[in-house]
Amino acid sequence: MFFHIILERNMQLHPRHFGSRLRDKLVSKLIKEVEGTCSGRHGFVVAIMGIEHVGKGLIRDGTGFVTFPVKYKCVVFRPFKGEILEAVVTMVNKMGFFAETGPVQVFVSNHLIPDDMEFQSGDTPNYITSDGSVKIQKDSEVRLKIIGTRVDATEIFCIGTIKDDFLGVISDPGAAA
Amino acid sequence: MSGEEEENAAELKLGEDFVKAKCLMNGEVSLILDRRLEQLQQLSEDPLNQMPQVFEKSLQYVKRFSRYNNPDAVRQVREILSRHQLAEFELVVLGNLCPETVEEAIAMVPSLKDKGRGLDDEAIEKMLTDLALIKSSSSSGHLLKKLGFGLASL
Repeated sequence: MFFHIILERNMQLHPRHFGSRLRDKLVSKLIKEVEGTCSGRHGFVVAIMGIEHVGKGLIRDGTGFVTFPVKYKCVVFRPFKGEILEAVVTMVNKMGFFAETGPVQVFVSNHLIPDDMEFQSGDTPNYITSDGSVKIQKDSEVRLKIIGTRVDATEIFCIGTIKDDFLGVISDPGAAA
Repeated sequence: MSGEEEENAAELKLGEDFVKAKCLMNGEVSLILDRRLEQLQQLSEDPLNQMPQVFEKSLQYVKRFSRYNNPDAVRQVREILSRHQLAEFELVVLGNLCPETVEEAIAMVPSLKDKGRGLDDEAIEKMLTDLALIKSSSSSGHLLKKLGFGLASL
Protein backbone atom coordinates (compact mmCIF):
# COMPACT_ATOMS: atom_id res chain seq x y z
CA MET A 1 0.00 0.00 0.00
CA PHE A 2 1.08 3.56 -0.60
CA PHE A 3 1.68 5.70 2.48
CA HIS A 4 2.50 9.33 3.07
CA ILE A 5 5.07 9.55 5.85
CA ILE A 6 7.73 11.82 7.26
CA LEU A 7 11.25 10.46 7.22
CA GLU A 8 14.51 11.84 8.49
CA ARG A 9 17.96 11.79 6.97
CA ASN A 10 21.32 13.36 7.64
CA MET A 11 22.52 15.18 4.55
CA GLN A 12 26.13 16.13 4.07
CA LEU A 13 26.93 19.23 2.07
CA HIS A 14 30.23 20.48 0.69
CA PRO A 15 31.04 24.12 1.57
CA ARG A 16 31.00 25.18 -2.07
CA HIS A 17 27.20 25.03 -1.92
CA PHE A 18 26.86 27.39 1.02
CA GLY A 19 25.14 30.47 -0.14
CA SER A 20 21.75 31.72 -1.11
CA ARG A 21 20.80 28.44 -2.80
CA LEU A 22 21.80 26.18 0.08
CA ARG A 23 18.29 24.92 0.68
CA ASP A 24 17.60 24.21 -2.98
CA LYS A 25 20.83 22.28 -3.16
CA LEU A 26 19.85 20.24 -0.09
CA VAL A 27 16.49 19.40 -1.64
CA SER A 28 17.90 18.33 -4.98
CA LYS A 29 20.59 16.26 -3.30
CA LEU A 30 17.96 14.63 -1.10
CA ILE A 31 15.84 13.76 -4.11
CA LYS A 32 18.78 12.31 -5.97
CA GLU A 33 19.92 10.22 -3.03
CA VAL A 34 16.60 8.96 -1.74
CA GLU A 35 13.99 8.76 -4.49
CA GLY A 36 13.77 5.29 -5.91
CA THR A 37 15.58 3.61 -3.01
CA CYS A 38 14.15 0.94 -0.80
CA SER A 39 14.56 0.13 2.85
CA GLY A 40 13.16 -2.86 4.69
CA ARG A 41 11.56 -0.64 7.25
CA HIS A 42 9.80 1.92 5.10
CA GLY A 43 9.54 0.24 1.74
CA PHE A 44 10.20 1.93 -1.59
CA VAL A 45 10.44 5.72 -1.61
CA VAL A 46 8.42 6.62 -4.67
CA ALA A 47 8.40 10.40 -4.56
CA ILE A 48 9.52 13.12 -2.21
CA MET A 49 6.79 15.65 -1.56
CA GLY A 50 8.63 18.38 0.28
CA ILE A 51 10.80 19.32 3.18
CA GLU A 52 9.22 19.43 6.60
CA HIS A 53 12.15 20.82 8.56
CA VAL A 54 15.89 21.37 8.21
CA GLY A 55 17.83 21.28 11.45
CA LYS A 56 20.96 23.20 12.37
CA GLY A 57 24.01 22.16 10.42
CA LEU A 58 26.89 20.57 12.26
CA ILE A 59 30.40 21.07 10.91
CA ARG A 60 32.32 17.82 10.81
CA ASP A 61 35.74 17.77 12.44
CA GLY A 62 38.63 17.67 10.05
CA THR A 63 36.67 18.44 6.89
CA GLY A 64 34.58 21.41 5.90
CA PHE A 65 31.50 19.31 5.28
CA VAL A 66 28.38 20.16 7.22
CA THR A 67 25.74 17.63 8.25
CA PHE A 68 22.11 18.77 8.22
CA PRO A 69 19.37 16.64 9.75
CA VAL A 70 16.49 16.90 7.27
CA LYS A 71 12.88 15.86 7.85
CA TYR A 72 11.00 15.31 4.62
CA LYS A 73 7.56 14.17 3.48
CA CYS A 74 7.37 11.38 0.95
CA VAL A 75 5.17 8.77 -0.65
CA VAL A 76 6.37 5.24 0.02
CA PHE A 77 5.14 1.84 -1.07
CA ARG A 78 5.30 -0.81 1.61
CA PRO A 79 3.65 -4.20 1.26
CA PHE A 80 2.30 -5.87 4.39
CA LYS A 81 1.67 -9.48 5.22
CA GLY A 82 -2.08 -10.09 5.09
CA GLU A 83 -2.69 -7.22 2.69
CA ILE A 84 -4.88 -7.83 -0.34
CA LEU A 85 -4.10 -5.96 -3.50
CA GLU A 86 -4.19 -6.07 -7.27
CA ALA A 87 -1.22 -6.94 -9.46
CA VAL A 88 -0.19 -7.51 -13.06
CA VAL A 89 1.20 -10.91 -14.04
CA THR A 90 4.66 -10.62 -15.56
CA MET A 91 5.79 -14.21 -15.94
CA VAL A 92 4.23 -17.66 -15.72
CA ASN A 93 6.04 -20.94 -15.27
CA LYS A 94 5.33 -24.35 -13.83
CA MET A 95 6.42 -23.30 -10.33
CA GLY A 96 3.85 -20.53 -10.24
CA PHE A 97 3.69 -16.98 -11.52
CA PHE A 98 5.32 -13.62 -10.87
CA ALA A 99 3.27 -10.47 -10.59
CA GLU A 100 4.10 -6.84 -10.04
CA THR A 101 2.32 -4.46 -7.76
CA GLY A 102 3.91 -1.07 -8.15
CA PRO A 103 7.66 -1.40 -7.61
CA VAL A 104 7.34 -4.71 -5.74
CA GLN A 105 7.42 -8.19 -7.19
CA VAL A 106 5.19 -10.92 -5.79
CA PHE A 107 5.57 -14.63 -6.42
CA VAL A 108 2.56 -16.94 -6.22
CA SER A 109 3.58 -20.56 -6.01
CA ASN A 110 1.55 -23.20 -7.80
CA HIS A 111 0.65 -24.63 -4.38
CA LEU A 112 -1.23 -21.42 -3.69
CA ILE A 113 -3.10 -21.39 -6.96
CA PRO A 114 -6.52 -23.09 -6.80
CA ASP A 115 -6.35 -26.82 -7.48
CA ASP A 116 -8.72 -26.63 -10.41
CA MET A 117 -6.20 -24.57 -12.39
CA GLU A 118 -3.50 -26.34 -14.37
CA PHE A 119 -0.29 -25.15 -15.95
CA GLN A 120 -0.10 -25.14 -19.73
CA SER A 121 3.26 -24.55 -21.35
CA GLY A 122 3.71 -23.17 -24.85
CA ASP A 123 4.18 -19.80 -26.47
CA THR A 124 2.09 -18.14 -23.78
CA PRO A 125 2.48 -20.27 -20.67
CA ASN A 126 -0.61 -19.96 -18.53
CA TYR A 127 -2.73 -21.45 -15.78
CA ILE A 128 -6.22 -22.39 -16.87
CA THR A 129 -9.27 -24.06 -15.39
CA SER A 130 -10.44 -27.33 -16.91
CA ASP A 131 -13.41 -25.66 -18.59
CA GLY A 132 -11.23 -22.84 -19.92
CA SER A 133 -13.28 -20.13 -18.23
CA VAL A 134 -10.48 -18.64 -16.13
CA LYS A 135 -6.96 -18.08 -17.42
CA ILE A 136 -3.87 -16.53 -15.89
CA GLN A 137 -1.19 -15.43 -18.33
CA LYS A 138 1.26 -12.58 -18.83
CA ASP A 139 -0.48 -9.24 -18.45
CA SER A 140 -3.52 -10.66 -16.67
CA GLU A 141 -4.69 -8.62 -13.71
CA VAL A 142 -5.06 -10.60 -10.52
CA ARG A 143 -6.11 -9.87 -6.97
CA LEU A 144 -3.80 -11.58 -4.49
CA LYS A 145 -3.06 -11.69 -0.81
CA ILE A 146 0.45 -11.20 0.48
CA ILE A 147 1.37 -13.93 2.89
CA GLY A 148 5.02 -13.13 3.45
CA THR A 149 7.61 -10.48 2.74
CA ARG A 150 11.34 -10.85 2.48
CA VAL A 151 13.57 -7.89 2.82
CA ASP A 152 17.16 -7.55 1.77
CA ALA A 153 19.26 -4.41 1.63
CA THR A 154 17.71 -2.80 -1.39
CA GLU A 155 14.60 -4.73 -2.26
CA ILE A 156 11.42 -6.13 -0.87
CA PHE A 157 10.13 -9.35 -2.31
CA CYS A 158 6.77 -10.92 -1.51
CA ILE A 159 5.03 -14.26 -1.60
CA GLY A 160 1.34 -14.31 -2.30
CA THR A 161 -1.68 -16.53 -2.67
CA ILE A 162 -4.80 -16.53 -4.80
CA LYS A 163 -6.34 -19.51 -3.11
CA ASP A 164 -8.70 -17.65 -0.76
CA ASP A 165 -12.22 -16.39 -1.47
CA PHE A 166 -12.57 -13.42 -3.80
CA LEU A 167 -8.97 -13.70 -5.00
CA GLY A 168 -7.82 -14.49 -8.51
CA VAL A 169 -8.14 -13.09 -11.99
CA ILE A 170 -9.78 -9.72 -12.42
CA SER A 171 -9.32 -9.35 -16.12
CA ASP A 172 -7.89 -11.07 -19.14
CA PRO A 173 -5.53 -9.20 -21.43
CA GLY A 174 -7.53 -10.46 -24.35
CA ALA A 175 -10.85 -9.15 -23.08
CA ALA A 176 -12.02 -5.59 -23.64
CA ALA A 177 -11.23 -3.24 -20.71
CA MET B 1 13.21 -9.83 10.86
CA SER B 2 11.66 -10.49 14.26
CA GLY B 3 9.71 -7.24 14.15
CA GLU B 4 8.16 -8.19 10.87
CA GLU B 5 6.63 -11.41 12.10
CA GLU B 6 4.30 -9.40 14.28
CA GLU B 7 3.00 -7.37 11.38
CA ASN B 8 -0.30 -8.42 9.93
CA ALA B 9 -2.48 -6.20 7.81
CA ALA B 10 -5.53 -8.36 8.45
CA GLU B 11 -5.34 -7.42 12.11
CA LEU B 12 -4.27 -3.84 11.38
CA LYS B 13 -0.87 -4.46 12.96
CA LEU B 14 1.29 -2.20 10.84
CA GLY B 15 4.22 -1.50 13.11
CA GLU B 16 4.85 1.78 14.85
CA ASP B 17 6.25 3.52 11.78
CA PHE B 18 3.00 3.17 9.87
CA VAL B 19 0.27 3.07 12.44
CA LYS B 20 -0.05 6.86 12.32
CA ALA B 21 0.84 7.27 8.66
CA LYS B 22 -1.64 8.51 6.12
CA CYS B 23 -2.62 5.79 3.67
CA LEU B 24 -3.13 6.74 0.04
CA MET B 25 -5.56 5.30 -2.50
CA ASN B 26 -4.29 4.49 -5.96
CA GLY B 27 -6.32 7.41 -7.35
CA GLU B 28 -4.71 9.84 -4.91
CA VAL B 29 -1.21 8.56 -5.68
CA SER B 30 -1.96 8.96 -9.37
CA LEU B 31 -2.70 12.67 -8.87
CA ILE B 32 0.42 13.16 -6.76
CA LEU B 33 2.72 11.42 -9.22
CA ASP B 34 1.23 13.33 -12.16
CA ARG B 35 2.07 16.59 -10.46
CA ARG B 36 5.59 15.34 -9.73
CA LEU B 37 6.05 14.31 -13.34
CA GLU B 38 5.07 17.82 -14.44
CA GLN B 39 7.65 19.26 -12.06
CA LEU B 40 10.31 16.91 -13.40
CA GLN B 41 9.47 17.82 -16.97
CA GLN B 42 9.70 21.52 -16.23
CA LEU B 43 13.06 21.20 -14.53
CA SER B 44 14.96 19.18 -17.07
CA GLU B 45 15.05 18.77 -20.84
CA ASP B 46 15.20 15.00 -20.67
CA PRO B 47 12.69 13.88 -18.04
CA LEU B 48 11.95 10.44 -19.43
CA ASN B 49 15.51 9.28 -19.06
CA GLN B 50 15.87 10.53 -15.55
CA MET B 51 12.76 8.97 -14.07
CA PRO B 52 13.84 6.25 -11.68
CA GLN B 53 12.33 2.87 -12.33
CA VAL B 54 10.49 2.84 -9.01
CA PHE B 55 8.67 6.04 -9.96
CA GLU B 56 7.77 4.81 -13.41
CA LYS B 57 6.50 1.44 -12.21
CA SER B 58 4.45 3.08 -9.47
CA LEU B 59 2.95 5.57 -11.91
CA GLN B 60 1.98 2.86 -14.38
CA TYR B 61 0.51 0.78 -11.59
CA VAL B 62 -1.70 3.47 -10.10
CA LYS B 63 -2.88 4.59 -13.51
CA ARG B 64 -3.89 1.06 -14.34
CA PHE B 65 -5.56 0.22 -11.06
CA SER B 66 -7.23 3.46 -10.13
CA ARG B 67 -10.95 2.90 -10.40
CA TYR B 68 -11.96 6.53 -10.43
CA ASN B 69 -11.29 8.79 -13.35
CA ASN B 70 -11.18 12.23 -11.83
CA PRO B 71 -9.93 14.00 -8.70
CA ASP B 72 -13.44 14.86 -7.51
CA ALA B 73 -14.48 11.22 -7.49
CA VAL B 74 -11.37 10.27 -5.54
CA ARG B 75 -12.09 12.97 -2.99
CA GLN B 76 -15.72 11.89 -2.67
CA VAL B 77 -14.68 8.32 -2.03
CA ARG B 78 -12.45 9.35 0.83
CA GLU B 79 -15.11 11.62 2.24
CA ILE B 80 -17.82 8.97 2.12
CA LEU B 81 -15.68 6.28 3.66
CA SER B 82 -14.52 8.64 6.40
CA ARG B 83 -18.08 8.94 7.67
CA HIS B 84 -17.97 5.39 8.97
CA GLN B 85 -15.55 4.50 11.73
CA LEU B 86 -12.80 2.98 9.65
CA ALA B 87 -9.06 2.89 10.16
CA GLU B 88 -7.00 4.60 7.43
CA PHE B 89 -5.73 1.27 6.15
CA GLU B 90 -9.23 -0.22 5.91
CA LEU B 91 -10.53 2.87 4.14
CA VAL B 92 -7.89 2.65 1.45
CA VAL B 93 -8.24 -1.08 0.87
CA LEU B 94 -12.00 -0.65 0.37
CA GLY B 95 -11.48 2.36 -1.87
CA ASN B 96 -8.94 0.49 -3.99
CA LEU B 97 -10.70 -2.84 -4.34
CA CYS B 98 -14.36 -1.67 -4.43
CA PRO B 99 -15.96 -4.86 -3.11
CA GLU B 100 -19.51 -5.37 -4.30
CA THR B 101 -20.96 -7.48 -1.53
CA VAL B 102 -20.67 -7.43 2.24
CA GLU B 103 -19.10 -10.88 2.12
CA GLU B 104 -16.40 -9.66 -0.24
CA ALA B 105 -15.73 -6.59 1.87
CA ILE B 106 -15.21 -8.71 4.96
CA ALA B 107 -12.87 -11.03 3.03
CA MET B 108 -10.83 -8.02 1.87
CA VAL B 109 -10.76 -6.31 5.27
CA PRO B 110 -11.19 -8.98 7.96
CA SER B 111 -10.72 -6.44 10.72
CA LEU B 112 -14.17 -5.01 9.91
CA LYS B 113 -15.66 -7.87 11.81
CA ASP B 114 -13.59 -7.46 14.97
CA LYS B 115 -15.62 -7.71 18.13
CA GLY B 116 -16.75 -4.45 19.59
CA ARG B 117 -16.54 -2.52 16.30
CA GLY B 118 -20.25 -2.00 16.11
CA LEU B 119 -20.17 -2.30 12.32
CA ASP B 120 -23.03 -4.56 11.34
CA ASP B 121 -23.75 -5.89 7.87
CA GLU B 122 -26.24 -3.10 7.17
CA ALA B 123 -23.67 -0.40 7.79
CA ILE B 124 -21.18 -2.16 5.52
CA GLU B 125 -23.84 -2.57 2.85
CA LYS B 126 -24.62 1.14 2.95
CA MET B 127 -20.90 1.93 2.59
CA LEU B 128 -20.61 -0.25 -0.48
CA THR B 129 -23.73 1.18 -2.11
CA ASP B 130 -22.42 4.71 -1.64
CA LEU B 131 -19.09 3.66 -3.15
CA ALA B 132 -20.77 2.06 -6.13
CA LEU B 133 -22.74 5.24 -6.80
CA ILE B 134 -19.56 7.26 -7.19
CA LYS B 135 -17.98 4.68 -9.43
CA SER B 136 -20.89 4.55 -11.80
CA SER B 137 -21.32 8.24 -12.40
CA SER B 138 -18.82 11.04 -12.71
CA SER B 139 -19.38 14.03 -10.48
CA SER B 140 -22.68 15.56 -11.47
CA GLY B 141 -24.86 17.89 -9.49
CA HIS B 142 -27.72 15.55 -8.71
CA LEU B 143 -25.39 12.83 -7.54
CA LEU B 144 -23.68 15.12 -5.07
CA LYS B 145 -26.98 16.25 -3.61
CA LYS B 146 -28.10 12.66 -3.29
CA LEU B 147 -25.07 11.77 -1.21
CA GLY B 148 -25.61 14.71 1.07
CA PHE B 149 -22.98 17.07 -0.31
CA GLY B 150 -23.80 20.73 -0.44
CA LEU B 151 -21.97 22.86 -2.99
CA ALA B 152 -20.32 24.73 -0.14
CA SER B 153 -18.50 21.63 1.02
CA LEU B 154 -16.59 21.18 -2.25
